Amino acid sequence: MKALEVRSISKMFPGNLANDNISFSVEKGEIFAIVGENGAGKSTLMNIIYGIYTPSGGDLLVNENEVKIRSVEDAIKLRMGMVHQEFMLIPRFTVTQNIVIGDEPHKGIFFDYGRAVREVRELSERVSLTVDATALAGDLPVGVQQRIEILKVLRRGAEILIFDEPTAVLTPEETVELFVTMRKLQAEGKTILFISHKLKEVMEIADRIAVLRRGKLQGIVNKKDTNEEELARMMVGRNVVLEIPKVDVEVGAVAFACHDLHVRNKRGYEAVKGMSLEVHGGEIVGIAGVQGNGQDELVNAMIGFSHPVSGSMELNGKNMRMVTTAQLRKEGMSYITEDRGRRGLVMPYTVRENSVMGQHLGRPFSKGIRMDYDKVGEFAEGKVKEYDIRPGDVYDTAGSLSGGNQQKLILARELSLPHNFLIASQPTRGLDVGATEFVYRKLLEEKKAGKAILLISLELSEILGLSDRILVMFEGRIVGETTPDKTTEEALGLLMLGVGIDKKVQS
Amino acid sequence: MSESNFTTKFLKLFGIDNQGHNRRDPLNVWVPLISVGLALIFGMIVIAASGRNPFQAYGLLFGDSGLIPGGPAWRREFAELLIKSAMYIATGLSVALAFKGGLFNIGAEGQFWVGAIVATFFGYWAPVAHTFGAMYAALGSFGWIAQLLHGAICVIMGMLAGGAWAAVAGYLYVKRGVNIVIGTIMLNWIAWFLITSWLVIGPMTPPSQTFTSGTFYVADTAKLWRIMMPTRLNTSILLVLLAAYATWFLLYKTTVGYEIRAIGYTANIGMEAPRAQGINISRRILQLMFFSGALAALGGTFFILGMQYQFPNTAIMGYGWTGIAIALIGQSEPLGVVLAGLFIGALRTGATSMQVANIPKTFSDIIEGMAVGFIAMQVAVRYYLVKIIQHRHARRDPPADQEAAA
Ligand SMILES: Nc1ncnc2c1ncn2[C@@H]1O[C@H](COP(=O)(O)OP(=O)(O)OP(=O)(O)O)[C@@H](O)[C@H]1O
Ligand SMILES: [Mg+2]
Repeated sequence: MKALEVRSISKMFPGNLANDNISFSVEKGEIFAIVGENGAGKSTLMNIIYGIYTPSGGDLLVNENEVKIRSVEDAIKLRMGMVHQEFMLIPRFTVTQNIVIGDEPHKGIFFDYGRAVREVRELSERVSLTVDATALAGDLPVGVQQRIEILKVLRRGAEILIFDEPTAVLTPEETVELFVTMRKLQAEGKTILFISHKLKEVMEIADRIAVLRRGKLQGIVNKKDTNEEELARMMVGRNVVLEIPKVDVEVGAVAFACHDLHVRNKRGYEAVKGMSLEVHGGEIVGIAGVQGNGQDELVNAMIGFSHPVSGSMELNGKNMRMVTTAQLRKEGMSYITEDRGRRGLVMPYTVRENSVMGQHLGRPFSKGIRMDYDKVGEFAEGKVKEYDIRPGDVYDTAGSLSGGNQQKLILARELSLPHNFLIASQPTRGLDVGATEFVYRKLLEEKKAGKAILLISLELSEILGLSDRILVMFEGRIVGETTPDKTTEEALGLLMLGVGIDKKVQS
Repeated sequence: MSESNFTTKFLKLFGIDNQGHNRRDPLNVWVPLISVGLALIFGMIVIAASGRNPFQAYGLLFGDSGLIPGGPAWRREFAELLIKSAMYIATGLSVALAFKGGLFNIGAEGQFWVGAIVATFFGYWAPVAHTFGAMYAALGSFGWIAQLLHGAICVIMGMLAGGAWAAVAGYLYVKRGVNIVIGTIMLNWIAWFLITSWLVIGPMTPPSQTFTSGTFYVADTAKLWRIMMPTRLNTSILLVLLAAYATWFLLYKTTVGYEIRAIGYTANIGMEAPRAQGINISRRILQLMFFSGALAALGGTFFILGMQYQFPNTAIMGYGWTGIAIALIGQSEPLGVVLAGLFIGALRTGATSMQVANIPKTFSDIIEGMAVGFIAMQVAVRYYLVKIIQHRHARRDPPADQEAAA
């Protein structure tokens, strides 16, 4: 039986046809993947199916009946559930509150929190998605936040599940877990729509794969009959080789150094426990590690968001332990963040306004107290072309860009700032192959230009491909240093999990 | 992942793209207009329900509001309208500016009083008043220079004091994490007690007077010029229009405004994006509170230098609170605030003469309250507007885009 059928769906945004006459159907119990470049229209299509957008044309069928989905409530009634690319959790609510919101268990007229917690625990056990039911959602790492979203959808009895790039935020281990969950759900007869940029994952989990390019359906292929190369070609329209060329650069002076750094997290718990590292000009130092081992706190200290409790931190020989972000930036720090929505961009600001934030003071973008928006506009136009930011209207808000284009905008801004030290924190999270290739190229150009680069990534292939030196981070410490030619993904993976580390040294 | 995405998505559930005011969004204009329109319609219903003739009531309300030229008392009413509106616009700008930076300055009321009391002080304080009095006499036909200087000193000192007063709340927020709403309310009470239980019945009051009489009167040189004799219309309306322009310029043309709006847009998600780009959030918030307080205080100086000439002992309540309503109706945009200020000024002017016809003044308050209520319900108003537009589009040419209308 066809669980879902999409018939010539189109969606027109002002000046931008995001979905162009798309038709396909998904069988019940199938895992159906949708791939495509950033901005290809995947999220738009999912939002239409889920009732968030109204299509400009076309029909939807659920269980072979024609339906009108005018709102999310309609979609939920039709037993659909969506886990969004950007989560919609309320940070100040607990995990349980977030899961039951909108459909809370009651005792009389009162919200029965105790029962809700029990329900959440049962559910989480049944589908083996572990969460702490009483923790505050805002305090949890993204990987766990996603589990909350999945649980929420399952609790409402969804039969058709839409996952919009669920793995973009996950560690390799978490991805494996997610796939186990997805298979389990499939075995229960649930239908899954799955979006990913990672062709390897798609080839692993999907039954059939639809490829979108610039709003059009390029084709639907059976997993059995295709391979990664063919998919990449269909997506991008040309051959893509995600092979990272070796670039040899003379290593320069130390740009960033920290010694015996201790950093506390928001709750006062010491998350970085004595880290020492140096990054030289012309060098990419990769930090590998499973999410939640102190990377976020380390970055926060390096960008001046929190002050280390002890240890030293220097940028270009200057003490930077107790300084502000502004001072670090002035000294030559640039920062690419994975948290585009919160940290990277002011979403309601236009591309134009976002493109100069951080260098808007002084010439050329302001004269005295006045912003020179003409100059800002020219600059933004130039960057939009150089970085191929689509759709390319500098008056679009950053929030209306697709994830990949938001990341390009961040890169455009950060790399055009005067800097000699670049922190790249998961720079390719959520990017398609083309955009990932672009980011790699830019990072290597930076290296060639003699910049010092610290790359923090959960993606081992990225760490191995780009880094000159690799540091493995585990529970707030560096537990190993190696170079790409001396190690393998497997060996790194084990180190990241703390396997083979002398426990005595640790405590 | 973040609240902003949450709100965005939440609004999208209603078919609304919550993408700020970067693109000129026609709904930003229609929402307040429709809200006011609805308030007027419901106002009629309320008046009719009370057994009075709504058309007569509105005739009086708007006939005597100063908005419509003509009639024997029009010049006076027009003057009253502008005098009142100048103060409302000042406090409205104060609240609106803070809103733009993501702060809810609920203390415009207190900042208004601080501006008023300080302007009073510099208006009568002998060293200043005598200097300008002597200067006025000495300058002869150039006496206006002395008036200009004395007036300017009173206005500027009032604004500085009101700004500093608000900046205290900014300081407490930035350094101690005291919520702006709590901080400004607290400062309202402190201002209130300092002024009414001490200054106005003690050091600033002539000793020979009874203590119901208020402070000393300001010197003639400190009074705002009258610009439309014989009414008491004064330069306050011009000054406040200048202030509105300055506020607009600050927000949309300067680096500070660029940063303030970035802070405001991200206020509910920790302002991380502007902070990560090296913007000094604390300093901007302090400055923002200072500017905001100075604008409210400007209204206070108008109250003294253009109307009362002394700080009366009776409570002057409500100009700051009204500012909140005006900022809401004006959608926190300087031009919107000016229009909303004129509207409320008109209602309040007309209300006085409506009373004469035995229609309680409360009806104008009801209309005002409902306008604010409808604005507060703007999500709903927007929702129906979008629906209506979509419906019309759908009928005209089916495949046309719906969100585009939003
Ligand atoms: N609300 C909106 N208003 C205007 N244009 C939009 C809106 N949402 C998306 N778009 C545009 O529609 C196109 C498709 O975007 P969509 O988010 O569906 O891409 P995507 O395939 O999910 O990309 P990514 O992989 O980067 O998430 C993009 O060009 C985007 O800029
Ligand atoms: Mg997407």
